[in-house]
Amino acid sequence: MKLVTAIIKPFKLDDVKAALQAFGVKGMTVVESSGYGRQRGHTEVYRGAEYQVDLVPKVRLEVLCDDEDADDLIGVIVKAAQTGRIGDGKVWSTPVDTVVRVRTGERGPDAI
Amino acid sequence: MLGAEPGVALVAVGGYGRRELLPGSDLDVLLLHAGREGIASIADRIWYPVWDSGARLDHAVRTVPQARRVARADIKVALGLLNARHVAGDPALTMQLREGALEDWRAAARTRLADLRELHNERVRIFGELAFLLEPDLKEARGGLRDVHAIQAIAAAWVASAPGPRVRAAYESILDARHILHEITGRASDRLVQEEHDEVARAAGLLDGDALLRELAGAGRTVAYAVDHAFRQAERASGRRLRRRKLERRPLADGVVEQDGEVVLARAADPKSDPVLLLRAAAAAAQAGRPLAPRALARLAECPPLPVPWPAEARDALVALLGAGPEAIAVWEALDQEGLITVLIPDWERVRNRPQRNPLHTYTVDRHLVEAAAHAATMTRDVARPDLLLLAALLHDLGKGWPGDHSVSGEVVARDVAHRIGLSEADAELIAKATRHHLLLPLVATRRDLDDPVTVEQVARTVGSRPLLELLHALAIADGLATGPAAWNDWKAGLVADLVHRVEAVLAGDPPPGAGPLRADQLALVEAGSPAAVVSDDEVTVVAPDRPGLLWRAAGVLASHRLAVRGANATSIGTTAVAVFQVAPEYGDPPDSTLVASDLRRMLEGRLDVEERLERRIRGARPRGAIVAPPKVTLVDDASLTATVVEVRAHDEPGLLWRIGRALGGCGLDLRSARVETLGAEAVDVFYVADESGQPLTSRDVRQATIEAVLGALSP
Repeated sequence: MKLVTAIIKPFKLDDVKAALQAFGVKGMTVVESSGYGRQRGHTEVYRGAEYQVDLVPKVRLEVLCDDEDADDLIGVIVKAAQTGRIGDGKVWSTPVDTVVRVRTGERGPDAI
Repeated sequence: MLGAEPGVALVAVGGYGRRELLPGSDLDVLLLHAGREGIASIADRIWYPVWDSGARLDHAVRTVPQARRVARADIKVALGLLNARHVAGDPALTMQLREGALEDWRAAARTRLADLRELHNERVRIFGELAFLLEPDLKEARGGLRDVHAIQAIAAAWVASAPGPRVRAAYESILDARHILHEITGRASDRLVQEEHDEVARAAGLLDGDALLRELAGAGRTVAYAVDHAFRQAERASGRRLRRRKLERRPLADGVVEQDGEVVLARAADPKSDPVLLLRAAAAAAQAGRPLAPRALARLAECPPLPVPWPAEARDALVALLGAGPEAIAVWEALDQEGLITVLIPDWERVRNRPQRNPLHTYTVDRHLVEAAAHAATMTRDVARPDLLLLAALLHDLGKGWPGDHSVSGEVVARDVAHRIGLSEADAELIAKATRHHLLLPLVATRRDLDDPVTVEQVARTVGSRPLLELLHALAIADGLATGPAAWNDWKAGLVADLVHRVEAVLAGDPPPGAGPLRADQLALVEAGSPAAVVSDDEVTVVAPDRPGLLWRAAGVLASHRLAVRGANATSIGTTAVAVFQVAPEYGDPPDSTLVASDLRRMLEGRLDVEERLERRIRGARPRGAIVAPPKVTLVDDASLTATVVEVRAHDEPGLLWRIGRALGGCGLDLRSARVETLGAEAVDVFYVADESGQPLTSRDVRQATIEAVLGALSP
């Protein structure tokens, strides 16, 4: 099993959610987060005061899936989240040992 | 089970003692004995059958002195004993306990009631307020059952009266809901969660969950209001024993005084002929951070309805009330309890106690609006029109009382209310637009691509102006904070702020307004050429040869006569300066105009020490109550080529203009013109200043020193 994690622009969340649902993903976790990558923070000047905009708001999305689905899923997210401009985000997958559905106690792929 | 055993009694305490056993309740019992041997075997004889029956038992075995000792050490035990009821055995023993427990309670009333208050505060902190929560705890929340027990306990100490019929009816309806909840869930849970709303409502014979929540909200508010009053009486009773001195009356506003920690009406006040008195008293109470006394509220109910549109004084008082921030909430609640809010704003009725059943909202619609206004009060320095921000926050969700999109219906209602309270056409339009678009910024910021110029342009086109953008930004923050932790956080705030910065860059800003034109009679005074001071009821005009410090010295003279400056306009024509002040007496009768005029003339001739006179008066003035936002001083450069604009936003108080002016003068600055506005309790002052050589301020050090000097003059 794999955990696919995506950091995307907030306004792209609806598109990505719709694309994943169309792909057949049943559940996901969404966290409001912030950070920076190659785009870096920048300084803005507004009415004489300087604002350090060092962390950019992003959405972090996590989906559990079977090993064989991971690559397709990453492709779906990338396609839906792309604007082609800097700050579009990143998607990666990590291997997962165990998954348990809390309600039923099911384990492994059944619990996804 | 006890049979004819002598010297033993079974006593019910707590809820069992009050005969309020619910399906999931504990059986609170005390086996009382007169120090006899073998009590353990009697206890076993009673407890075992109860345990076997499956009922939950909370039990103790004590002698009367033991029970009293435990009660003295633990207030919860003491409260339980106040409801002690004889069940079986020797009634004399129970009587002895009841009398002893009451005697102890009264003897130590002062510390006991303080502890009780502490318990109450702790509960409020954990459980919140029954009336405004969507999933309230019926027992522990503020306004819940425990608060009625608290009123009874205070009454048992003989410092307040027992719960009245309104509170008893409220108690019954909360108790009924709790009973049904226990039956339905089969558990001793007192929290009315959303899933149970409809079923509990049906069992209670109500239409749906909303009807249930409305009824509970009404009951919870009644109880909360009553418990506050009981605690205040308790505090006063213990305070009086401490000091025993004459009650001081301190004027707060015209017809309104503070006495013994409460706000009451002055002896000379006449509600029947003074429709604005209601709002003036409410504003004064909120600004001083003191409650309105119930007897004052009863008299305020006699105020005739305000004329429509409202006079400016009433509108200012409403803004000052809202501007007090968190302090305004209690005052608003008191007015609501007396049914006075819906008299002021009839549209309020449709949102009153209206629940909002979604996971984002914490509060009912009406409370959400008041909370939003309280949050808005902390941002009054960030917008050009603090009064409109506070009013928009109060009105933005009134559309929720109507079908359809609440922003659309809300626009209509908000415009109506804005006209009702007498706002100008332009201001009413701004409030209506703010209501219509109050969700625009958060929605666009989280759902649209901010890097796309089209997004920003669309928002700029919809909003149209900087004042509305500022208003919408502050309103979005206040609305979000008042909704609940799920609706607003730093993440969302960051996105919205980013959007606002981008839109601001598209919209050009208007410079702050300079001095307005003079009227013909004022120009005539200038042409006459000699120094003059003309004083009427609400306007003071001072004409004199132009020299530094004229405006603020004149303002100082007015403040020393208890005249509040509501607006000022200062300009110079040739070598003559003209300052026109709109004034109102702070309280009581207006000062003698000939005295004011003669003092002004003495000031012009340099024969009056304003400073000494004013400092003496300010020292004896009212205490600073609710000040919820720090003052803000901004230098604006692009507004004028020949002067620097100093914009000051601060809480209005006696002598404010004098203090700011003196600080500017102290920096060696020349005041070219000024425009001062007081909006509710907020002052927005704009000064056009130049340095000694008549140039705008350019040096970074001078600019910083100016800002610091003004801020220094504003801090207490």
